[in-house]
This record gives sequence, C-alpha cells and structure tokens, in this order.
Amino acid sequence: MSAGPENDSTLREHLSALVDGELKPGDAARACAAWRDDASCRATWHTYHLIGDALRSDDLASDGQHDAQFLKALRERLAREPVVLAPAPQGVESAPMRAVAVGGRRWGWRAPSAVAAGFVMVAGALVATREPERPAAVALAPTPVAKAAPSAAAEPILVATNPAAAPVGMVDGKFIRDARLDRYLAAHKQFAGSSALGVPSAFLRSATSDASNR
Amino acid sequence: MNANDADAPLVERVKLGDVKAFEMLVVKYQRRIERLIGRMVRDVDLVPDIAQETFVRAYRAIPQFRGESAFYTWLYRIAVNTAKKALVELKRDPTVSESALAAREDDDETSRVENELSDGETPDAVLASKQVAAAVNAAIEALSEDLRQAITLREIEGLSYEEIADLMNCPIGTVRSRIFRAREAIALRLRPLLDTREGSRW
Repeated sequence: MSAGPENDSTLREHLSALVDGELKPGDAARACAAWRDDASCRATWHTYHLIGDALRSDDLASDGQHDAQFLKALRERLAREPVVLAPAPQGVESAPMRAVAVGGRRWGWRAPSAVAAGFVMVAGALVATREPERPAAVALAPTPVAKAAPSAAAEPILVATNPAAAPVGMVDGKFIRDARLDRYLAAHKQFAGSSALGVPSAFLRSATSDASNR
Repeated sequence: MNANDADAPLVERVKLGDVKAFEMLVVKYQRRIERLIGRMVRDVDLVPDIAQETFVRAYRAIPQFRGESAFYTWLYRIAVNTAKKALVELKRDPTVSESALAAREDDDETSRVENELSDGETPDAVLASKQVAAAVNAAIEALSEDLRQAITLREIEGLSYEEIADLMNCPIGTVRSRIFRAREAIALRLRPLLDTREGSRW
C-alpha cells in the first residue's frame, strides 16, 4: 500500500480511509500533501465528508460553494497565525521536515526585511556622518535625490538611496519633506534634541565602545 | 491521543506544524459547527463569522489538545464558548447587529424564516442543499447491498472498519474498498450539482 503508485484512484482510496481515520501515518502524510497540491483532491475530500454529513442529516447538506468560501476566508486568517508546533510524537515520517519547510516559507519575508532595515540604518548613519551640520532630523531619512533639481546633483550627502522610500526630495535647494516624516520626527523629539545625534560620530563611537565593553 | 478518534492522524500532523491538515479538519467539521452555532445565534449573517472565530481559536489551542476527548468534542466546546461570548458582546453592543437581537427577541416563526434566508443562506443555496441531500439519498438507494451496508455502518452507525469487517464477515481491506467504492458512486452523482469543473473552486 505504502509503495503503491500515486494514481488518482489509490490516492482517493487513501483519502476515503483518512476520512474514517483508518489510514497509516505515512499514507496520511501523502494524503495531506495531495490535499495541499491538488485542487481535485480538495474537492474529493470535501465531497466525501459532505456525503457523510448528508447521510446523517439532510440539513447538513450544502451545495459546496459556501464551504469553499468559508475555507478561503479562514485560510486568510490562519495565514496571520503563528505556525503551531507541539512536541512531536514518534513514528510520523518526515513530518519535522515539513514543519521546518512550512515555517521557512511563512517567515521567509523576515530575512529580506531585516536586510532592508539594516541597509536603512547604515544609510542613515552614513548620511549623518558625512553631513554633521545637517539637522539630524533630515539625516535620519535616507532618500534618493530628486533628479529634476540641478543643485541636488552637487549635493554630496545623499549617497545612499533607497528606492522603496522617498520621504524627502530636493527641489531648487529646498527640502520637500513627507508629512509622515514630520509626524515621525515630532513623535521622537527626544532624539532630535539629543547631543548624541547632534554629533553623529560620537554616537557611532559610543556604540562601538559599548560592544568592546562586553 | 484517543485511539478511537478518527481525527487523530490529522490532529498529529497539525501539531507538527502542518496547517493544511488543519484545513482538512475544517472542511470536515465546518458544516456541523455552523449548524451548532446557528442554533445558538439566530442571525445567520453572524454564523460564519463565529464559526471562523471558533476554528481560529481551535488552531491556537491545538498544542494544548491532549486527546482525552475526541477532537470533535473539544471543537464543539470551543464553538459553544465562542458563540456564548459573541452573544454577550452582542447584548453589550447592540449596534453590532440589531437584526440579530431582533431575531432573538422575536420568536415569530415567519420572521425567523425570513432571517434564515438572509445573505448567507439564499433561497438558491437552500434549494441547492436540498438537491444535494436528495441526490445522496437517491445514490445510496442505487448502491449494491454490500456497498450500501458498508457506508451506512460507517457513516450513520459510526463503526470502525474492524467492527464492520466483523459484522459483514469479510477482511478489513474489503471494508475499506467497499466504503471507497460507495463514496465514489455517490460522488459521481453529486458532481453535476457541486461544480461544473471539479475542483475549480477548491
């Protein structure tokens, strides 16, 4: 059975046995994979259960459309939930690897955003270091230079560009700031006024000495 | 884990992080859970929401599910608690759904029917469900005696394959095959009612 061909009929027979909880764990893993990968398997699984429900009670019958919509909506909610991981029992083949794979996919976005966040920090520090007299408020936001502004081309400060975020532009030597940035800065006034940021190099040095003290 | 619980294999997989196994359990129980909630909360518009909340809570709590009861018993309890909580919130904040409260206070049969037919449960859907029920019953009648007996003992009497094998005096493998063939025969009759192209909406 476990070495049997994965043709449709065998697979559906496995699904049928799984409906009744009479499938070996290894075959159950394959049936779950089939549900994941194959829409016709999902339809079959639904139909088998619908048959059981309709046999037990007429008012459990459904045309299936509502059921499919229900699952679709629930999927969106489950996607926002952390992956469940409980202590693993023995004898369920390859399941831990599946869990890792699922986890990897679910949290895969974290790595790029961490890199992006790091980039923004470094860019911010660079800008701050190169232009100490620039208000710290502006230096905090690494931004691309508006290409239309001729004077901007001569500006040496805006070395790091982040195409994803452009809260500040430079037109005719004037800063055009995003209102969101202003709100952010207003909410973080204590940093704008702090001497550490006012003298950015001191700020950077203190960070490194912190690290060496450990 | 309760060895008699037919859901044990899927529950184990959910605990190992397989969210798809949980989806399979949802498809299995969503109709029963919605019916249960529908009996507690009269506003049919709220029923799917409360059912969704039930399944989300169950998913969060499943690491704590030890299998001392059957999975469905456990899920049933969560559904009842979720529906009760929703009713309390509804009383505290009537703006959420005035129709829900009106439906609860007004036990007049006609207005109840009107309510049941709102949005989530359109006359079309009700008719389609009746057709499905009729098709399943007709398909059962058309089965051979062996297949009908096997699927009935399983789905209506809730017997295990082993018990059915004892009763029908045949190997377990035969039971499994008979139940499968019975389901296939019924599914064939249902297919035109359920969807034009199989699986297109799943």
